[in-house]
Amino acid sequence: MLEPVKGGLWYAYVLGSLILVAALLAVLSLLPRRAKRYIVMTVTLLGGLFYALEFFLPTHPMMVGDDPNADGNFLTPFIVPMANVLPAISACAVGLGVINLFQLHGKRALKRNADSINSIAFFVSCIGMAAVWIASKQPQASPLSKALGKILFEGALQNLDATMFSIIAFYITSAAYRAFRVRSMEATLLLATAIIVMLGQITIGQLLTAWIPPRYDFLHVEVIRNWILTKINAPATRAIAIGLGIGSLAVGLRIWLGLERGSYFDE
Amino acid sequence: MHILRILQTVDRRVLYVLLMLSVTLPFFLTVRLPMRVSPATQALYDRIENLAPDDFVLLAIDWSAGTRGENGPQTEALITHLMRKKCRFAMLAFEPQSPTLCQAIAERLGKEYGSIEGVNWINWGYRVDAKNFLKGFVQDIPAVIKTTNRQEDVTNLNKFPIMKGIKTASDIKLLINIAPSNIYQTYVQFVAGAKKVPMAVAPTSVMVPEVFNYLDSGQIIGMMPGLPGAGEYESLLGTNTKVTRFANSASFAHILIILFIVLGNVAMLLERRQNARAGGAA
Repeated sequence: MLEPVKGGLWYAYVLGSLILVAALLAVLSLLPRRAKRYIVMTVTLLGGLFYALEFFLPTHPMMVGDDPNADGNFLTPFIVPMANVLPAISACAVGLGVINLFQLHGKRALKRNADSINSIAFFVSCIGMAAVWIASKQPQASPLSKALGKILFEGALQNLDATMFSIIAFYITSAAYRAFRVRSMEATLLLATAIIVMLGQITIGQLLTAWIPPRYDFLHVEVIRNWILTKINAPATRAIAIGLGIGSLAVGLRIWLGLERGSYFDE
Repeated sequence: MHILRILQTVDRRVLYVLLMLSVTLPFFLTVRLPMRVSPATQALYDRIENLAPDDFVLLAIDWSAGTRGENGPQTEALITHLMRKKCRFAMLAFEPQSPTLCQAIAERLGKEYGSIEGVNWINWGYRVDAKNFLKGFVQDIPAVIKTTNRQEDVTNLNKFPIMKGIKTASDIKLLINIAPSNIYQTYVQFVAGAKKVPMAVAPTSVMVPEVFNYLDSGQIIGMMPGLPGAGEYESLLGTNTKVTRFANSASFAHILIILFIVLGNVAMLLERRQNARAGGAA
């Protein structure tokens, strides 16, 4: 099912798909607003229906892929083709994001004000990185493009990324020093717990209670930390996770059934 | 200014310099601090230790350079252990930087342990849309993976003998997710839970409290908690590389934060007491 094609046929498929999508978009743009809304709602419903039906319909032993011991129903064999198609659609969403950024920064760059330089920097870094990386990954890539790719990815991007993340440590230190003050009972409890968890996390902290004999193991800071994390923290975060899960389910249902208003279905 | 007031209002630039020193100085000092291995790290180590040679392990590596300080040593420790045990392993990423970063680690350690790409390990590269991808992945791995990081056909068993017998998620003996994000939940939902694949997680320290839920419920069998976890794992492996020094840096940074929090609070309480004695507002 959905076997990949190569050579000239591949180009024909890509071209055909582009023409089809362009025609569909042209037809959609001619339709009245109400009709467009119903089409989007119907496509969303059908899209979501696939996985819901595949999950809820009764299953029976069947051959799925190369697995003779699998369980499934008549929709199960379509899971693998869907897994190949849907990520491609998701990748298109990244492309839409790039188009959006180009539109936004294009306008800002053309305004020629003090902020234009930032937008120009965006174009230079985005196009430069993409061009160099694609060139360096070609089978016949020149040593220069490979070296440039290495410089931009390993020399610039990775270190900038690490630097941005490392800066957080400085802010956390400053914020923790200023915010953690024992002004109330709750703040005192929070402070004491934070200190125990931090001490239990590090070797120096564990060293502080290492002298306590094994008989009183429960007094070791790492044991207390473990107890706090598993007996107090875990139930609390689990309750939050369940709440979030139910909320996500409700939002998902609203989007799937077309009940959600705003940017999902309205212009 | 009164000393108690100064202790409560230390300039942030002073804190920044002290933090920088506490993080960087341990790199130049040989300080060996005792390390107690946590039950979660021990469980992960034991699981890998009990794998048979040639068992297939999936390393779901989803970190970028931003968390290299923690996730890098975790990845190194796990790959070292898998190569020592002669287990086969594949690396898969939903984070674009990961394939390049983990390829470099596997290539370097592969030379040390005689582990060959395509035979003992494989890099499946970067993919998008984790949920839909994994739904198909668990059913038919070669049909969904298709190509390696270098766009080579994974079904070519002459070039990739590692793929022999790998059809569905049931062929994976252990799944380990190394990530600073909650992508592990997607793996729990669509791979570990759906196909009963044993799973472990190597999160960053900040993620540890959240991951404890899944450890406590038995949905994951072990965890390597952040950089300290990597240090613990290294002590189990008997290797002593830069991870121990990194762990010392983290220790000193934590101590600095605790010290300043305590100093600030003690100064505040003493000042209140002085004010109360003097008849001023507490």
